[in-house]
Amino acid sequence: MPALKVHNIVFRHDDLFELQLERSDVSFEPGACMALFNEDGDSRPYSISAGTQENVLRFLVRRVPNGRVSDWLALRKPGDTVEASDPFGWFRPGRSAPAGERCVFIATGTGVAPFLSHLRSNPFKPPEMCLYGIRRLADAFALEELECLSGFRLAVSKTSGHGHFHGRVTDLCEQIPLGEDIHYYLCGLDTMIEETSQWLEASGIDYTHIHREIFFYEDGQD
Amino acid sequence: MKMDKTDAWLTTSQNEPRGYIQPQTLEELWFHTGTNCNLRCPFCLEGSKPGDNRIEFLTLDDARRFIDEALELGVKKFSFTGGEPFVNPEFVAILEAALDHRPCLVLTNATEPLMNQMADVLRLRDKPHALKFRVSLDHPDPAKHDESRGKGNFKKALDTLGRLHQAGFGVSIARLMLSGEDSSAVDQSYVPFFRIAGVPDDITIIKFPEFHLPGSFHEVPEITETCMTRYLNAEQRAGFMCNFSKMIVRKNGQCGVYACTLVDDVNGYDLGPTLKAAMEKRVMLGHHRCYSCFACGASCSERA
Ligand SMILES: Cc1cc2nc3c(=O)[nH]c(=O)nc-3n(C[C@H](O)[C@H](O)[C@H](O)COP(=O)(O)OP(=O)(O)OC[C@H]3O[C@@H](n4cnc5c(N)ncnc54)[C@H](O)[C@@H]3O)c2cc1C
Ligand code: SF4
Repeated sequence: MPALKVHNIVFRHDDLFELQLERSDVSFEPGACMALFNEDGDSRPYSISAGTQENVLRFLVRRVPNGRVSDWLALRKPGDTVEASDPFGWFRPGRSAPAGERCVFIATGTGVAPFLSHLRSNPFKPPEMCLYGIRRLADAFALEELECLSGFRLAVSKTSGHGHFHGRVTDLCEQIPLGEDIHYYLCGLDTMIEETSQWLEASGIDYTHIHREIFFYEDGQD
Repeated sequence: MKMDKTDAWLTTSQNEPRGYIQPQTLEELWFHTGTNCNLRCPFCLEGSKPGDNRIEFLTLDDARRFIDEALELGVKKFSFTGGEPFVNPEFVAILEAALDHRPCLVLTNATEPLMNQMADVLRLRDKPHALKFRVSLDHPDPAKHDESRGKGNFKKALDTLGRLHQAGFGVSIARLMLSGEDSSAVDQSYVPFFRIAGVPDDITIIKFPEFHLPGSFHEVPEITETCMTRYLNAEQRAGFMCNFSKMIVRKNGQCGVYACTLVDDVNGYDLGPTLKAAMEKRVMLGHHRCYSCFACGASCSERA
């Protein structure tokens, strides 16, 4: 199990940060996660948001109050080490794209991480649409990169402002393109994933085209 | 107890000959796909959790080698357990290789790793042999299941169970067996859920007693040679998993053949690097989980 050195830790605000670990010789596919361990050996999976060509591993972490691992990670400093598993995972945004199929990405919060990894690794295979839901603008990661995508829509649920939709990302369901050749990748909060999956299935999308990864639960349990 | 091949392996603490099983056939070969799991259930008998590698991912090359050897020994079925098998990146390819030769059984928590690979799984219907899934639904109360497996996981597992059945795969469930329970009443309380999922009321329900965490020591009565003949008949002895099955486990970059699916935490039960060598070895019933097999007839197998 590799022990990786903390390269940097960049806070967006007290409860949200990007953890950068030195890459060492870790190889991964976009969408993969790594289990990160705290000093007591508790492990939690975190998705890599870095591109496969970068020399740091990036993780977007929401700090959960009293969370055994996320809270511990938030206290790391550059030069500390973090035990990590080899990369693994079953959620591979855009994996179907090489076959000429189209894809749609829908994320809430840190659930944007696997999509960023795909976009940074395969910039020439953008999704048909990318919906990103957050509570406040301060929760947004990599907006400049995402805004370059033609099908990008940002939904901010708690605050209103220019240039984004005020509401939940699920309120934008009607705008999602539907098609038999489209694969839908949903990542983040359970309620978004449940509601969107149900909407897609009710709209005639085959369940094998709906790919899902739950990071967090609406009521705080994860 | 130190279960290396010394006196403690052969005799009980009272110095009586320890009960044993001399394996007779290799009907079923189990593969451990690795202890990496998307969930981290507190009762997990494998101690599996995200990123765990006490038992490493089985590779396609490993699997092919043992599939070939098992075929030579007349194996009838291949079965797979984890961790969560679908977390293993080569698992679908491993299943494809096994299904070319024999029917297969997969034990799964039926959550995201499987759900996200359903398109690949559906293609396995075209294989020459049948694929069956055993889905863990610990309690007939979704809240209790989710208490240890995580929120929403009962519903996911139930939905996936239904989808697998509708796709034509065989399905069964595994549940926890509580001491003193009225087993048929507990089984019956699953029926409303089976109906929601669209699976038959009478699918097989495999019940597991509490097996305790790997590496833990539990005070259970010791099984002597005399116990094996006084309390069990030949048919019951033949029903021990270690009599008719083995399990392949990969640790520290190498595969070993273990006596059964329940004892991979004690190196003494690694019976060697090949099935042929392992089949010749007596299995001494000294692991605390052997007592569950002795007392309750616990078995991971679904024999016809
Ligand atoms: C595949 C995958 C990838 C993930 N990737 C990311 C990622 O990129 N970024 C990210 O931020 N997160 C990600 N997560 C979530 C992450 O793995 C952790 O679950 C999260 O960081 C919380 O872990 P923790 O140890 O900090 O909190 P924990 O100690 O696990 O506790 C979480 C919180 O929930 C509460 N809680 C726990 N159990 C219960 C219960 N039974 N009932 C009620 N409340 C309860 C606790 O009180 C605590 O407040 C991912 C999850 C998965 C499955
Ligand atoms: S899902 Fe199964 S293998 Fe995974 S932690 Fe739970 S009991 Fe263990």
